[in-house]
Amino acid sequence: MIQNNIYKKLLPIAIVLLVTNSLFAQKVVRYDLYVKDTLVNFSGKERRAIAVNGQIPMPTLTFTKGDTAEIYVHNQLKESTSLHWHGLFLPNKEDGVPFLTQMPIEPGTTHKYTFPIIQHGTHWYHSHSGLQEQIGMYGSMILKKRDDDPTFRKDIDDLPTIPIILSEWTDYKPENVHRMLHNASDWFAIKKGTTQSYSEAIREGHFKTKLTNEWKRMLAMDVSDIYYDKFLINGKNESQLSQFKAGDSVRLQISNGGASSYFWLTYAGGKMTVIANDGNDVDPVEVDRLIIGVSETYDVIVTIPAENTSYEFLATAEDRTKSASIYIGSGIKQLVSPLPKLKYFEGMKMMNGMMKMNGDMNDMGMNMSLQQMDMNTVMYPEISGEKKPMKMDEMPEMEMENMDHSKQGSGNADIVTLNYAMLKSPTITTLPKDAPIRELRFELTGNMNRYVWSMDNKVLAESDKILIKKGEIVRITMFNNSMMRHPMHLHGHDFRVINGKGEYAPLKNVMDIMPMETNVIEFEANVEGDWFFHCHILYHMMAGMNRVFSYEEQEPNPLLPDKEWAYKKLQRESNQLHLMAQNDFATNGNDGMAMVQNTRWSFGTEWRLGYNDMHGYETETHIGRYIGRMQWLMPFVGFDWRYRKLGRNEIEKNLFGQKSTKDNRTQFSVGVAYTLPMLVILQTEVYHDGNVRIQLRREDIPITKRIRAGFMVNTDKEYMVGLNYIAGKNFGFRTHYDSDMGFGVGLTLNY
Amino acid sequence: MMNSIKILMALTVLLSHTVCIAQIKNAQSESVKIYGNCGMCESTIEKAGNVNKVAEVDWNKDTKMATLTYDVGKTNPDEILKRIALAGYDSDTFLAPDDAYSKLPECCQYERVNKSETSKVEAAEDHSKHNPMTKLPTEANQETNQLKAVFDNYFALKDALVQSDGTLASAQAKELLNALNAVQMNKLSHEVHMVWMKVMKGLVFDIEHIEETKDVGHQRDHFNTLSDNMYQLLKVSKYEEPVYYQHCPMANSGKGANWLSKENAVKNPYYGSQMLTCGKTVETIEN
Repeated sequence: MIQNNIYKKLLPIAIVLLVTNSLFAQKVVRYDLYVKDTLVNFSGKERRAIAVNGQIPMPTLTFTKGDTAEIYVHNQLKESTSLHWHGLFLPNKEDGVPFLTQMPIEPGTTHKYTFPIIQHGTHWYHSHSGLQEQIGMYGSMILKKRDDDPTFRKDIDDLPTIPIILSEWTDYKPENVHRMLHNASDWFAIKKGTTQSYSEAIREGHFKTKLTNEWKRMLAMDVSDIYYDKFLINGKNESQLSQFKAGDSVRLQISNGGASSYFWLTYAGGKMTVIANDGNDVDPVEVDRLIIGVSETYDVIVTIPAENTSYEFLATAEDRTKSASIYIGSGIKQLVSPLPKLKYFEGMKMMNGMMKMNGDMNDMGMNMSLQQMDMNTVMYPEISGEKKPMKMDEMPEMEMENMDHSKQGSGNADIVTLNYAMLKSPTITTLPKDAPIRELRFELTGNMNRYVWSMDNKVLAESDKILIKKGEIVRITMFNNSMMRHPMHLHGHDFRVINGKGEYAPLKNVMDIMPMETNVIEFEANVEGDWFFHCHILYHMMAGMNRVFSYEEQEPNPLLPDKEWAYKKLQRESNQLHLMAQNDFATNGNDGMAMVQNTRWSFGTEWRLGYNDMHGYETETHIGRYIGRMQWLMPFVGFDWRYRKLGRNEIEKNLFGQKSTKDNRTQFSVGVAYTLPMLVILQTEVYHDGNVRIQLRREDIPITKRIRAGFMVNTDKEYMVGLNYIAGKNFGFRTHYDSDMGFGVGLTLNY
Repeated sequence: MMNSIKILMALTVLLSHTVCIAQIKNAQSESVKIYGNCGMCESTIEKAGNVNKVAEVDWNKDTKMATLTYDVGKTNPDEILKRIALAGYDSDTFLAPDDAYSKLPECCQYERVNKSETSKVEAAEDHSKHNPMTKLPTEANQETNQLKAVFDNYFALKDALVQSDGTLASAQAKELLNALNAVQMNKLSHEVHMVWMKVMKGLVFDIEHIEETKDVGHQRDHFNTLSDNMYQLLKVSKYEEPVYYQHCPMANSGKGANWLSKENAVKNPYYGSQMLTCGKTVETIEN
């Protein structure tokens, strides 16, 4: 179908066209975008969202290579905004990153973006301000090839096209989602049914797996962090394209505009042909399914095999909780089977094997790269087989006699899943041979427990801009030493993915990198400016998993007069303080704490307030700093105060024989908290009177889906045991026994 | 045991039936056609469609008509019919996924009147791939390279292990042994002959062990050493197309193990689908 040779010959012409492109740029295409608050109802509840020109997703912007884009953004919100043109080559000041390439577009103002369209392909655009992308600010951006383009592919580029933008919706405010992630709230896991508690582990015969997992200081494993209420294709959970009929081929131009969800794409009408990725053509590849990373784009051809039938194109979130469908064709709807639930304990077992005791990932010498070896496969029942024989009540009775046992647990090894090694550019993509090469290496690092995501264990707030020179080739090796996959996105440039296709290495601007993978990308530094390089999972980006490539000796940016100040603002945005608070209103007193934390610092206070002087009142305040990549160590300074009236026994002795006046005491302390295997926190503290206290504590032992056990014991001969039932996002019921205050039952509120 | 389960199921259905009807608010009813055959279909259809307090399905196996009773504030007939289709049953709105239909018990495989013929030749499930018997070499091939039969049978054995099919692996081992015995040593080149002498005994030993058990775990232990010997042999004698020497570091209790494959894409014979793509190509043996 494709004649490579012709393209090789035509490549030089293509380059000339690219360079002299401004000559063709006669047509100005103008869009006016009105950004406005709105109320939406995706899930049965009314919630705030942001609509552009009254719609979610934002309108599809269409241009043809050679056009000049003029986009007027009218900000009618009560907050500032911005728009980033994802995957586009443009002057730096048009890139749309507030405090990096421009000032935020303030409420009530209009900002004009203008740039020549010098490429073709499927791209998209979204807000780069805060978490606005989560609540509606995403849309398709389609750059068409000119009919006389030398890379025009007959039977591909002349097919009917349909822009598809995938997204997700949560009824929670995204700011709250972000805060809950940082507070290691397991509410999302409860909603998703992925708590992976001890009782569930025992039921599935994985007690040892769970134990090892906690021994290695890991929380429940998952492939995504957030529970979403709905998944959407072009803003709808289900929709139909009834204009197509049997025999038609349709080119779907798919962008993943989700804030944090990867999607599996499957089709009821047979195999799909992948023909472009991130806006760049690739040689056609036939697959049964593919996963599209956050912010990636894929162009896929599907055909309609039969009359009077529409075929389901299914986008399933990677965690397989839910999906969205679009039916292609008219008539009766042919469904495709949903992807079966993940076998989490199998995944946990695999993770245990890969995780070293110090939190480093160990790929066991497998040189993993390019999505070729998806370790998550152990969790996919459709490939690795069902986890157990069906439950009795789910099994039709007659089948039992003539059941073929060989079918059980066999799974299917023949599903063709796309990976990066299968992508091949139809044209030569090599970079200038004589250009100097700049080698960079990044280790992607993270810490699930505190939701810190970083590169080389540094968040943006801890890193300077990375200086590069115009004309050099930047070659980046990335190793993912964290437990989650990351879609790494580079602004303003396409990079070559070194994937074994030699001169025909595919061009991309988002690189999905799975845990333990090492991948190499390279690009030519050819447009000066400050360019963002970051993980495109919105909440990872907001946690600081970002860098800036800055061209040396670049012209000043007229939109951003004070760059130094602006960079500090940018750094601060992704290292915000998060509040967390909790109080147990119990029969024997109030037990609670409040904490404000950012990437490294923690300001926390705890209290135990009785209802009378006999029970006493007690607070402990700690200011600490988390040390190391896994943040298991936290030295702190503290202040303790307590008052209690017991009458007798005024002086207490601790285990070391040191005496203290338990009943009225004000103390300063220094200490250190350390997370032991099994996630138990060992806290050692020295008070200014020389007293020492050593304490062991853990509050979140997952017993069942919703029940958490906790305990505390220390050398002051104090102890506590308790059980907490998580009833809702912000409340639960707790029963505990405290050596000071005795037995209590109560209602726990948390924020 | 069977009977009590049946009774239990019947009870559950009955109970849920009465309870649901009573509890569905804003109830609306609709009659729709759902294709199916028998009483078993009925229980599957109703179970798939029912949602406590929200939807209730009553299907009649003679008329194939179902009464859908549902809470209009919470759901709609399409949602109910979609669930039923995903369980394998067509309606006039939805066609069941082919794999869901084919998983239905034989007696439930109703006639799919709504399914239109595909307008072009579809790349239907190619089961020939799974049947290694078709890969057996014909006698004629032996002229060109009499070891080809040995390698082909080795690949077939490997595929059986990828499928984790101990019975098939045992059968393939037998074929492999036959192919091995059919080799006329005196017709081998000197170089190949030398290796042949060295590995022959080990090959036979491992193959016999694989043949005499159906335990995949035991077969895999022997496949490890078998593959090492086969590699030495193939390295000197070559094969008609490139062969990939692949390595999985986790197999053999973490000591790692190798195998030969005609495809570069990794399909691990030591773990099968449990960890299908674990491994990498360490060497490509060109022909």
